[in-house]
Amino acid sequence: MDGDAELVARAQRGDERAFEALVARYSTKVFRLAVSILGQEFVPEAEDVAQEVFLKIHRAITTFRSEAEFGSWVYRITFNEAVNLKARVRYKSPHLNEAALVGAAALGPGPQSQAEAAMRDQVIEDCIQTLPEVYQSALRLYYWMDEGVSDVARMLGVPENTAKSYLHRARRLLSHMLKDKGYDNE
Amino acid sequence: MNEMEPEESKIDRLLRASMAAPAPELPADFERRVMLGVQRNERALEQGRRILLVGYSLTSAFASAVVMRGQGLDWAVTSGLILGPIALVGAAWWVWRANSTSLRRGAPSP
Repeated sequence: MDGDAELVARAQRGDERAFEALVARYSTKVFRLAVSILGQEFVPEAEDVAQEVFLKIHRAITTFRSEAEFGSWVYRITFNEAVNLKARVRYKSPHLNEAALVGAAALGPGPQSQAEAAMRDQVIEDCIQTLPEVYQSALRLYYWMDEGVSDVARMLGVPENTAKSYLHRARRLLSHMLKDKGYDNE
Repeated sequence: MNEMEPEESKIDRLLRASMAAPAPELPADFERRVMLGVQRNERALEQGRRILLVGYSLTSAFASAVVMRGQGLDWAVTSGLILGPIALVGAAWWVWRANSTSLRRGAPSP
């Protein structure tokens, strides 16, 4: 399997297959990073972001300098694109995720505990929405997408210790917010 | 993550429970859609380049004709001086294209 540098060099010479291989290699991570920034209600928008990111990369690939890491460049474009879109869709009503609702209804022992869990999840999601973007993204990548700390760090373009500290601070902030809302985190 | 304080461990468990839903996936045809978008962009770019080139050629030919006529050259010389280089570039391009096509035909398949 070719490395990024080899694929990028070929894509810079106009090899579409090499670019397609790069899309295949990075599409899931790019999409996950976009979802982690936009939130779970904006999955279709995250898909659009992922597509737009690859179109931008294709247009700009000849300007990419091989001494930089290709993945970092891709993630930085994704982060900026998703944050810009988030600023635009902030006041748009989110999509109702029917599949998630059906799934939630099928789980759990009783209607009351289901309702409580749904309410708790909503409160947590509302609290997460108020955190800084990098904290939101780190939390969703780590807890929802099951990415390891090293992957979270790579996708956010920060050292691993910084990613750990994002998670730590985000948990502490959430803990305080939930206490303020009357939840004791149990 | 094992150096968490008890309070942080609680919120950790809560977050794991709250975000237990499966992560969303990209549709299976995502890569195909991206490549279609790339090809569409390439075509639009190519068309833009052609329009620019044709526009530039026509403008410069017109400007050259006006200047040459202003210098007292007759239409035959003016046309020859404008169309001659165009014909030369066209011929060179045709030869280059013919050569690259025959080279591609002769190349071993990947």
